[in-house]
Amino acid sequence: MTRLLESEKLLAAALLTPGVAILLLFIAYPFVMALWFSLTSIRVGEAGEFVGLANFEKAINDTIFQQAFKNTVFYTFWATVFKLALGMWLALLLNRHFRFKRIVRASMLLPFIIPTVLSAFAWRWMFDPTFSVMNWMLYHGGVITDRLPFLSSGDWAMWCAVLVNTWRGMPFFAITLLAGLQTINPDLHEAAALDGANAWNRFWHVTWPLLLPVTLVVVVFSVIQTFSDFQLIYVLTGGGPANSTHLIATYAYQIGVASGLLGEGAALSLFMFPVLFAVVWFQLRYLKRMENA
Amino acid sequence: MLIERKWKKWVYFYLPMAAFILFTLFPFYWMAVTAFRPDPELYRTWRQPSATPLWTLEPTLEHVKGLLQTTAFPQWLWNTMAIAIVSTAISLICGMFAGYALARLKFRGSEFLGTAIFITYLVPQTLLFIPLADIIRDMQLGNTPWALMLTYPTILIPFCTWLLMGYFKTIPKELEECARIDGATRFGAMVRIIFPVAVPGILSAGIFAFTLSWNEFIYALVFMASAEQKTVPVGVVSELIRGDIFFWGQLMAGALLGSVPVALVYSFFVEYYVTGLTGSVKG
Amino acid sequence: MSRITRRKFLQYSGAGMAGILAAHRAPVFAQANTVHILRWNDFVPAADKVLREVYAPEVQKAIGIKLNVETINANDIPARATSAIQSGNGPDIIMLLNNYPHLYSSAAVDVSAVADEVGKAGGGIYDASAQLNKVGGKWVSMPWSVVPALVAYRKSWFDEVGAKTFPKTWKEYHDVGKKLKAAKHPVGQTLGNTFGDAPTFTYPFLWSYGGQEVDAKGKVVLDSKETVESVRFMTQFWKDAHDEGGLAWDDSNNNRAFLSGDISASLNGASIYVAALNGKDKFKTEKGAPLHTDILHAPLPGGPKGTHAYHTAFNHMVMKYSKNAKGATELLRWAHKKENYDKWFTVQKGFAVGPTREWEKHPMWKQDPVMAPFGTAPLAQKRLMGFAGRPDKKAAEAWNKYIVTVMYAQACSGKMKPEEAVKWAAGELGKIYT
Repeated sequence: MTRLLESEKLLAAALLTPGVAILLLFIAYPFVMALWFSLTSIRVGEAGEFVGLANFEKAINDTIFQQAFKNTVFYTFWATVFKLALGMWLALLLNRHFRFKRIVRASMLLPFIIPTVLSAFAWRWMFDPTFSVMNWMLYHGGVITDRLPFLSSGDWAMWCAVLVNTWRGMPFFAITLLAGLQTINPDLHEAAALDGANAWNRFWHVTWPLLLPVTLVVVVFSVIQTFSDFQLIYVLTGGGPANSTHLIATYAYQIGVASGLLGEGAALSLFMFPVLFAVVWFQLRYLKRMENA
Repeated sequence: MLIERKWKKWVYFYLPMAAFILFTLFPFYWMAVTAFRPDPELYRTWRQPSATPLWTLEPTLEHVKGLLQTTAFPQWLWNTMAIAIVSTAISLICGMFAGYALARLKFRGSEFLGTAIFITYLVPQTLLFIPLADIIRDMQLGNTPWALMLTYPTILIPFCTWLLMGYFKTIPKELEECARIDGATRFGAMVRIIFPVAVPGILSAGIFAFTLSWNEFIYALVFMASAEQKTVPVGVVSELIRGDIFFWGQLMAGALLGSVPVALVYSFFVEYYVTGLTGSVKG
Repeated sequence: MSRITRRKFLQYSGAGMAGILAAHRAPVFAQANTVHILRWNDFVPAADKVLREVYAPEVQKAIGIKLNVETINANDIPARATSAIQSGNGPDIIMLLNNYPHLYSSAAVDVSAVADEVGKAGGGIYDASAQLNKVGGKWVSMPWSVVPALVAYRKSWFDEVGAKTFPKTWKEYHDVGKKLKAAKHPVGQTLGNTFGDAPTFTYPFLWSYGGQEVDAKGKVVLDSKETVESVRFMTQFWKDAHDEGGLAWDDSNNNRAFLSGDISASLNGASIYVAALNGKDKFKTEKGAPLHTDILHAPLPGGPKGTHAYHTAFNHMVMKYSKNAKGATELLRWAHKKENYDKWFTVQKGFAVGPTREWEKHPMWKQDPVMAPFGTAPLAQKRLMGFAGRPDKKAAEAWNKYIVTVMYAQACSGKMKPEEAVKWAAGELGKIYT
């Protein structure tokens, strides 16, 4: 027993076993199954036969999928940009000392805490063409004369989705970046200020570089979540109007589950993988370079 | 001089802060108003002169009561709590062990394993849930909380491992070495020295895991069959939406009440959460 | 990887886990004669109550079956059905809409005996339902009910613009609608990705202009002069008479809009009227009268090539994987008995009609003249999705991808010209009907 608890190799094996076992059984194994599905013409209740890359080919030529892919990239890009910018700004604000700091910090996390499905419903009703409180406010504020087509126009709907995703994810960025900010030695800022740097310069030349590792990590996690997002669009628009807000995940779900075409659905889902893989790979390489430096 | 400073403070701090608070919390205010709004008011379109979307003069508890008494909401709350706590516990333990192994122990393939664990985070649930249904059935776990308690860790373990790995790396090696010189085993040193020091990081990973498992939808939808087994997101969505009638009052009440437990957890631990992330971030 | 070895492997690991998890084993339904039925959350909540509080105890007494009723959001049934069929474990009976039985036919138990019996006793099952539930001459599922869709409209507002009766042609409807929209009472219709109100409008609309998805041999013929004409008309009709927010509507928006007095007419099941009836003090006209006194129902207008309708069919499939297929079939037989079905039927108040023709003569239809049109509505349904082909898997795929609906939506939103929209839709259909 002491040998087990002592030897690095054996201890490592023992410690890693529970986690790896769960991941193997509930991710790796079904993943291989799903890979197999994507190479067959499997449908609900029918095993289908091996068709090679036919499902992938069909997907690439599918105009709805092309739109979904574009949407996913658009959605992920803009939501991440906004989440980072606003999250950073909020983190800088929260880093100062002010009354009610604790309660403000805690309440800022609420959008992140509430289950996505539920908050998406709330937003959906806030954008509803007939009942929208947004329209009411803008109308009575004299900004608009007729309602805004929040979810009825493809472009508007995409931006609304970005808005809701930003609202939801910004707190996570803010709190994580705040943690990073608190590790930065205030002396560095003082030194820079003494050298005559203004607030923006101080941020750009002192804060930003030091925060880069944290930023990178939180951006990667966020990109992964956002790129494979399902719940938000499913609840907010269902992929409409006219299939214009579908993401890869929601479209794959509609094909695989609603139409029963499991093989094609699996192939669609798998298109997410290369992009995510590339994102993660770059980040890991960058972090490793920074560690070695 | 003082006036200039004050003006600056307003523009650079108070105004943006207020804007953020408004942006973040307005939906919650609106949800609360909707949850307490009587039905006739719910059906006023925004164009109608009598529309008052921002407040109600006749708050009512009927939606909350309806939610708690006519649906299995309390049961869903309990289910979600239990599942979240157990999944978090499992993920934390696995994450703590794996994080320690990857951060501190030298063995062949440690880098590969670390990357592999991270890669599993990339696999989307919309891809997995069909094959997983098969596996759950083979293990006879369908329609039991354990179906979720064992599958949620797949989403949670990678993140916990990464977070704790980073945190452990910042803990000076001397602490362990002292303990081992004093006769403790590696394992003993890990449990008795490292883990207590890493409590902020552990709490932080735990809170995040708790939130994620509270938020999960697809697996809960597919693996849970009966109304008593559902979780809050699935229950609220499937029972309070009858095709073309959304019970908005109850929906919003459910949304609010469904976030209360997690919010409470956060209110106690948010400071730990921040310091926890601080530690792992340093590494 | 043979299924047997994999299952054994998982059973061993499962057994290991089970040892630890003993207290939480899945309830094994093998004991007693239990039947687990999965249905949607009925738009008429009282009907679900009948299932749970009337059917369950009565069927237990009558034939010793323990009925377990589960209801979920209709949109989520495909997900549950798919995972149940794939994993071979799930509800004994699953309620399926429209032509889903064709999608899942390989997982179904043959219920021809029940269907023949019920059809004979009830004066014949509607032809449309028969087509949706029969594959290869066998009944793969049992039709339960049909929810007819009619246009609910505000009598007083139509009167005010000079339409004493509901328009009989699209052109008339267009003219009336223009006046209504000018009076701030537009027509409401969803063109969103929603299973209920969108296809029940767009498919009959397409057919009434002579357009169709495929010909009898399965060749895509959507791209035709008739289809383009229909899209062109719809685009103009949309701008002139409709609440343009309808592009984002789901099945519930038109209900809310109508009940709030925002729109003057909408294609829907009876749920708008029933909601107004049940909420006499909540829903009022602008003059203060209860809203339900101002609502009437009419079928969709006709186009140059005829009048068509589409009504949503609700069917029950007994699953092959079920361990109690016998009990499930008995349950269906019992539920379709006149005295039992009657209890469910009356509580619907006309929202749903029965699968056989005898229910058209039910005395309930005489009680409320506003609801009377629903009683005979299914007779107007002459076509199904995939016309002129069969309503089979390919038609289901086209239906699920909302191709026809999106065709109209693209044109009405201005994103595509009518000809482009039609070409796009035909292209999409082509990928399915290869």
